[in-house]
Amino acid sequence: MTDAVAPSAIRAPARLLPRVQVAPWLYLLPTLAVLFVWIYLPLFQSFQLSFTQWNMLPTKTPKPVGWANYRNLLALPELRQAALNTVWYVVGLLPLSVVIPLAVAILTQDLTGRLRNLYRALIFIPMIVPPIVAAVLWRWLLNEDYGLVNHIIAGLGFPTVKFFQNPDIALWTMVWITGWKLMGFSTLLLSAANGTIDPGYLEAARMDGANRWQITRDIRLPLLSPTILLLVMMTVLFGAQWSFVYINAITDGGPMGATTNIFFLMWKYGFQTFSAGWSATAGIMTFVTFGLLALLFLGLSRKVAFHDN
Amino acid sequence: MLRRTFLATGVAAVALTALAPALRAEMAAGITAPVTISFYSYNLASAGLNNDTTMGLINDFMAENPLIKVEPIGAPSNEILSRVQADIVAGQEPDLAQLVFRDLIYAADDLGAEALEDLAGDELAAHAEGMVPSGLDLGRVDGKTYGLAYTFSTPVMFINADIFREAGLDPKNPPKTWAEVKEAGMAIQQKTDKYGFFPGAFGPIDGTFVYQSIVMSNGGIVREGNTLTFADQPAADAVAMLRDLRDSGAYAEIDPASHMDTFAAGKLGMFLFTSAVQNRFIKAADGKFELEVAAMPSFGDKPTAPTNSGSALFLLSKDPVKQRAAWELMKFLTSKHAYTQITSKIGYLPLRLDIVDDPQYLKPWVDAHPMIQPNLEQLTRLTPNMAFAGPNYRQVENMMKDAATEAVLGDEDPYEVLRRAQVQAQALMPADG
Amino acid sequence: MTTRSRATTVATHGAMILLVLTAVVPVYWMIVTAFRPEIEIFSLRLLPQQPTLENFAFVLTAIPMLKMLGNTFVMAAATALAQILTGLFAAYALTCWRFPGGKVVQSLIALSWLVPFQVTMIPNYVLSTKLGLLNTTTGLVLPNAAAAFAVLVLVNAMKSFPRQVIEAARMDDAGHWRILWEIIVPNLRPAIASLGVLAFISAWNEYFWPLLLIRKIEDSVVQIGLQMFMTQEGNQWGPLMAAATLASLPVFGLYLVLHRQVIDSFMKSGLK
Repeated sequence: MTDAVAPSAIRAPARLLPRVQVAPWLYLLPTLAVLFVWIYLPLFQSFQLSFTQWNMLPTKTPKPVGWANYRNLLALPELRQAALNTVWYVVGLLPLSVVIPLAVAILTQDLTGRLRNLYRALIFIPMIVPPIVAAVLWRWLLNEDYGLVNHIIAGLGFPTVKFFQNPDIALWTMVWITGWKLMGFSTLLLSAANGTIDPGYLEAARMDGANRWQITRDIRLPLLSPTILLLVMMTVLFGAQWSFVYINAITDGGPMGATTNIFFLMWKYGFQTFSAGWSATAGIMTFVTFGLLALLFLGLSRKVAFHDN
Repeated sequence: MLRRTFLATGVAAVALTALAPALRAEMAAGITAPVTISFYSYNLASAGLNNDTTMGLINDFMAENPLIKVEPIGAPSNEILSRVQADIVAGQEPDLAQLVFRDLIYAADDLGAEALEDLAGDELAAHAEGMVPSGLDLGRVDGKTYGLAYTFSTPVMFINADIFREAGLDPKNPPKTWAEVKEAGMAIQQKTDKYGFFPGAFGPIDGTFVYQSIVMSNGGIVREGNTLTFADQPAADAVAMLRDLRDSGAYAEIDPASHMDTFAAGKLGMFLFTSAVQNRFIKAADGKFELEVAAMPSFGDKPTAPTNSGSALFLLSKDPVKQRAAWELMKFLTSKHAYTQITSKIGYLPLRLDIVDDPQYLKPWVDAHPMIQPNLEQLTRLTPNMAFAGPNYRQVENMMKDAATEAVLGDEDPYEVLRRAQVQAQALMPADG
Repeated sequence: MTTRSRATTVATHGAMILLVLTAVVPVYWMIVTAFRPEIEIFSLRLLPQQPTLENFAFVLTAIPMLKMLGNTFVMAAATALAQILTGLFAAYALTCWRFPGGKVVQSLIALSWLVPFQVTMIPNYVLSTKLGLLNTTTGLVLPNAAAAFAVLVLVNAMKSFPRQVIEAARMDDAGHWRILWEIIVPNLRPAIASLGVLAFISAWNEYFWPLLLIRKIEDSVVQIGLQMFMTQEGNQWGPLMAAATLASLPVFGLYLVLHRQVIDSFMKSGLK
């Protein structure tokens, strides 16, 4: 649809500036300047550093090591466990960051105004809690010995749950905390998108005798698909990274590596050793992997965006 | 968290322009013109008494030395090294820094901390008089003092007397050996719905000093020179003993990230951890349960070898006048006056034991707070905590910690787990020695 | 109303109430703990037996909390505003013009989002030191003055903006500046409001960058203040929760105000 706008929009400046268009670049300048100076420049420096062994201190000099940093990091035995855990983080987060918020956005659409706003406002609340506070709050609430959740579980007659100590449960606990914080954000985005759907479409469909489910399936979901895709993409690209704060504040990757994802592993091995080369390497590898994934998604999103024409 | 991220990447040019002057300049004899120095401290990043007491000391110092202005910079203890390192990289030149002992060798080798003997030989000797000698030893690398021992604590056994009584034990006669700990722990586990014993040695909260204390109390050691020995006989036996505690049920399988809260909530009978949290526990227990403090348990009749948690002061300044100012501040912060404040208000140990009996200084407070006694008594047997050397020292320490955790809490043979980790970690140690 | 739709409504309310409880209980715990005296900290009662303000009093005396809240507010507001402005310009350029390099630029902007902050922090600190930005709000805001997220959200919003309206404006010979400000921006209010809220919150929760850049505690931000109640030697739960409550209030207030705006904007766009 960019194409649909472009011809008419281009005409005026094209008359003034025949060949190179200055105007779009002027509009882009502030963003590009900030991103170049504060993100891409340091990224480039990292790229150079990833081929050296250095702790950045003036007392030592950088030692060129070729691809050794990359080989060392890839050879880490824990890498497989962490990579698998990363996949579980993403899979576990999708229901919390996409499915439930989507349901909330659509279900609350038909409720009366005041209650709907109240529900949405309340679900958004976790978003305003500082992440570090969310981490300590949940560590407390889920504690086996003095936490409210286990108190309730025990009160209902069930055995208490070792949310953080049991290696089979700990990862899902971390997923839950990350997702709890995200639900409000996703709900806000989806509600905003849902709210911009032209009621005319819905009215027309209703006149044609479509029921709620049909309207949802045939009108709302397709119209919401760009936002849904955006959320899925964000969860895949950033979900594991968002968990970082909580892993770091609560489990430190344990018990026995069960909650370590790729970001935490790289951080632990790459950055704990005070080696600028290793951590730069970790950063570059992370960037490239997720960058490729992102390009894949961008391609996909073009398709989906085309679909709603 | 920053500790690692700081190294993430860098601008070589800036770091290179910050290269230290080639020749060592002599420290100035005195301060003749106004000078400003920076002081990096993690106590400043902790709201309440820690910050207030430290700021109070800085203000006292500035009042006594009107020409010196101190710029206080706080960062959490697990991030302060990265903070200092980032400022060195950015050319901000920190002058004085409070760093933990695990970073000792790194500070000496890489951060360019000054050896105090070279800088202030005679003055150092005079100042050190009256300080606990084994405390001073802790800041030495290859015979020279790079870190002047500052805030300090040793592991002590915190006891919930109410739980003891509930289990039919006598809180006035707490376990002295590990065998007694096991017995008491099992009694608590069987007769109450509370937990027996937990050592604050594992998990996300730094407890390496507790682990090392247990190992060394059994005659073990985690490294000799650059050869790792934590999987060798006496050291591994100590870990196997903890595993036995765990298998017996005396050991509390609680969330290691909240062990302090579990104890404060009155759910844990015995907790071996740094005496630095004593004041906090006294407050938390008030009105809830009766708190007792005992010395750390021993292996049979072998004397215990308590090592320390805590920090030393490192002089990083390269400018002769700032070096003098920083040295004066260092002396002030480790003076009788300062330790009186630090012990009575924050709760660290006084490294000048003569003030304990001095009515002018700490005596009134010590008389009013008998719980400090086991801790003071342990000071006499203080054993240096082993820091690791080389660029991978933090990773080596982590591997050792992870292995010990797995040996105690996992199902595999503890000796085998430790041995495997030792082989892996040895590859990351510096080759020499 | 049929029984079936009534049952659906009841089920909807039930599900919503459950979700709301999950979202609210931890926050309730935070607030209620802020009012607990030390002796009741680990109590499982839903209300403190002897509620106290001592935690709040402690927070206000132990750290310059109000000053920090002020600093954080200025920093977060400036960051949100900057991200909206740079985002609007960039999104307009990317949706309303077709020019060589446009696609590449959009991808570059999107990819910048994926650069881990660990990679950029030290070089940015070195640069800020050189530029004299230590201890300044400018230094806190500048590296976050543009964000891929803002650009992408606004591009998305502008794409779904009816093209006929823009074309009509162009017929009237309206300039790009006027089209952006007088036609597009008023119609993107829901998106801009949501974006503003999110940018504000994320800036408000920033911890690492202020920790590095700000050397004086009274120039610092609330996240640093919160961290001062959490140490390796244990958390001071009461004060921590009091500080966290204080730190969350402004954001919550802002959200409540803007949430209404967002809803209002829905209504308006519904009239078209």
